[in-house]
Amino acid sequence: MDRVILVKLSTKGRYGLRAMVDLAVHSGGGHVALYSIAERENISENYLEQVFSTLRKAGLVKSVKGAQGGYTLADKPSNITVGAILRVLEGNLSVVDEDSEASGIGENSIQHCIKVAVWDRMTESLNKLVDSMTLEDLANEYRRMNGKANLMYYI
Amino acid sequence: MKISTKGKYGLEALTDMAIYSSDGHVSLKSISKRQGISENYLEQIFSVLRKKGILESIRGAQGGYRFSRDLNEITVKQVLNVLEGPLAPVDCAVRDEKPACDHYETCATRVLWEKIADELEAVAASVTIADLVEKYKDSYGSTGLIEYFI
Repeated sequence: MDRVILVKLSTKGRYGLRAMVDLAVHSGGGHVALYSIAERENISENYLEQVFSTLRKAGLVKSVKGAQGGYTLADKPSNITVGAILRVLEGNLSVVDEDSEASGIGENSIQHCIKVAVWDRMTESLNKLVDSMTLEDLANEYRRMNGKANLMYYI
Repeated sequence: MKISTKGKYGLEALTDMAIYSSDGHVSLKSISKRQGISENYLEQIFSVLRKKGILESIRGAQGGYRFSRDLNEITVKQVLNVLEGPLAPVDCAVRDEKPACDHYETCATRVLWEKIADELEAVAASVTIADLVEKYKDSYGSTGLIEYFI
């Protein structure tokens, strides 16, 4: 039997965040072509095209057209929170379906108790966590894991 | 990131059962009616909860289910883990289980997914069915009569 994951994140959020970390690590102030991110992260370029179009419209990345074109972060990695990126790609970060609770219609008293004691608290701690982490934190983690920590000092 | 209906319904049904069973037997039918969950679906959920030791079945004409241990020993985490699996946002954040991904060792975002999983599990582990019952009684009284008068 397949194991089901209770709280699921979509491919867009997963791949999009990974691509943003890659961009933060490799841009060095310049532009990065999507195909190079696609190659390093093993994500299809077509898919990245869609994801970056969304990120650009939200003002998290900037694009430059032309032969040397590509994308660059719109701000310093330390100013871009993981929460901001995930909300652009995933919508509101909540552990329960917001449609069913939007107006409280059809919500009985037991459901309300569970919502307050469990789902709302989970959603709150989830949002707190992603808002406390920046792209810089993940970029540093990437450098550590990929043995690139030294590069920082020599560049 | 969404909790599936199985986990949601399971938690609602168990809380309902805990509230209404103080006077004795609670039938699936009555839980089904109060919570608006189909009896068939409830039967599936309760069967899993019984196999995993959270519920026991009662034999006889009035047969049904009862809790296998004290309500303050049953955490939301146990219930959700039994019905759905680990509270991880992605497969690779599940501890002790290395999925097939080329980037596992070098994926910085995995660290974040693991942190999220830890946070969600910590919240779920901090709440018991007894807490939910108490919360309900504090807000609505012990019999839930308010629901019928509104």
